[in-house]
Amino acid sequence: MMKNRKKFLALSLALAVVLSLAACGGKKDEAPIIGGADGPTGIQVTDSDMAYIKDKGTLIVGITEFEPMDYQDASGEWIGFDADLAKAFAESLGVAAEFQLIEWDSKVMELEGKTLDVVWNGMTLTDDVKAAMECSNPYFNNAQVVIVPKDKADQYQTVESLEGLQFAAENGSAGQAEIEKLGNSCTATQDQATALLEVQSGTADAAVIDYLMAVAMTGEGTSYADLTYTVSLNDEQYGVGFRKGSDLAAALNEFFKASYADGSMQQIADTYKIGDKLVEQK
Amino acid sequence: MFMTVVGALNEGFVQTLALFAVTLAGALPLGLIVSFGSMSRFTPLRWLTRTVIWVIRGTPLMLQLYIIFFIPGMVLPSGNPWPAGTAGRFMAAAVAFIINYSCYFAEIYRGGIQGVPAGQQEAGMVLGMTKSQIFFKVTLLQMVKRVVPPMSNEIITLVKDTSLAQVISIQEVIWAGKAFLKSSHGYKGLLWPLFFTGVYYLVFNGGLTLLFGWVEKKLDYFR
Repeated sequence: MMKNRKKFLALSLALAVVLSLAACGGKKDEAPIIGGADGPTGIQVTDSDMAYIKDKGTLIVGITEFEPMDYQDASGEWIGFDADLAKAFAESLGVAAEFQLIEWDSKVMELEGKTLDVVWNGMTLTDDVKAAMECSNPYFNNAQVVIVPKDKADQYQTVESLEGLQFAAENGSAGQAEIEKLGNSCTATQDQATALLEVQSGTADAAVIDYLMAVAMTGEGTSYADLTYTVSLNDEQYGVGFRKGSDLAAALNEFFKASYADGSMQQIADTYKIGDKLVEQK
Repeated sequence: MFMTVVGALNEGFVQTLALFAVTLAGALPLGLIVSFGSMSRFTPLRWLTRTVIWVIRGTPLMLQLYIIFFIPGMVLPSGNPWPAGTAGRFMAAAVAFIINYSCYFAEIYRGGIQGVPAGQQEAGMVLGMTKSQIFFKVTLLQMVKRVVPPMSNEIITLVKDTSLAQVISIQEVIWAGKAFLKSSHGYKGLLWPLFFTGVYYLVFNGGLTLLFGWVEKKLDYFR
């Protein structure tokens, strides 16, 4: 009898833990919106993300090291096309931009957990991205390109020639989606750099990464001097991601319009020699 | 180039060491408390403690890092409770590591305490010692000797587990090495710094191994 009671107690405790975990999960689905819905502080759902940002005085910008979009100069200051734009946007709101390096896979969680306010890091606008985040209008043109060893580059200049190749691409990236469309088999890697490593070490025949990344990371003067890029699989556009339902996306679109019109956006892009890929803002 | 990379890796390794030290400082004593809970004669406390140990040991540390860092900001109306910037991330990682490791330590302590022969306690009672005297002067000292080998195992694992804190963007040594795969400190696409981080772990764990060997020898006088 005693033993049974103990067993019952243990089981009910276990059940309680499982249920409370499940309850946590449930809440997340119900109130992922800005500011929390029903808190004791009386913050209403109608309270905007804008008000939240202005109240705390900082815009936390989620980035990865990604030249020429977000990277550090010699003094450790974050610069780049995206970083400079983010600073200008924060200034227009009267808040300070703070840059935070993140693990790219966690970006949506970082936004919803309010450990970030915006993801601004050469992010391709895919259906997945648009579903998970409140996205700005596209502001930059990019492409997904195929990376192969230099000595085999002339064999792979057309999409048809890629048939049967074993690919590597960053998990969840636009590149991976392109490979799926081609129907080739694909190893999902943690980031784009690891995808290159797969080609370099011969564990994959080819990789698909961003055009900007390919320009920066392959060829002379890098560890990937033996790799090069060939076919462009898809033209795509970069956007900026906010928390789902955030009013900051609309504010950024207005900011883009104004800074495109007065030429300041073009000027920043020219600074990083990528001015020809800007998307017109209207 | 070598010096620049080593400088960057050193910066990362300081983070690794800081997380390691904070975790040890928190989990060594907390583990003892948890082990008392798991041996308590008060049944609900014992089962509660053992359930916690089951949950913590039964789920991946990586998942616990995600939960501790991200869930509060999602459910609390006031937003993310962790301090801004790197400090908040480090604090969250430290909390997750301390909770996780104290559960493992607790089981090792429990084994060490229960492994001390009952005759030792009986001898203490015959000598007229109080219960707490027996615990601190007889059981605990012998427990320490018994737990050194399994603890050294767990502590060396901890050194390497700190690399998991990357998932909430703690920039420890592997992060610093991986950064060179893309671009960092003016160098692009360098492969070797990532693999070179292994040297840091090897050297540090080598030192720890020597330290534990020395401690074991020092404690030899119990039998």
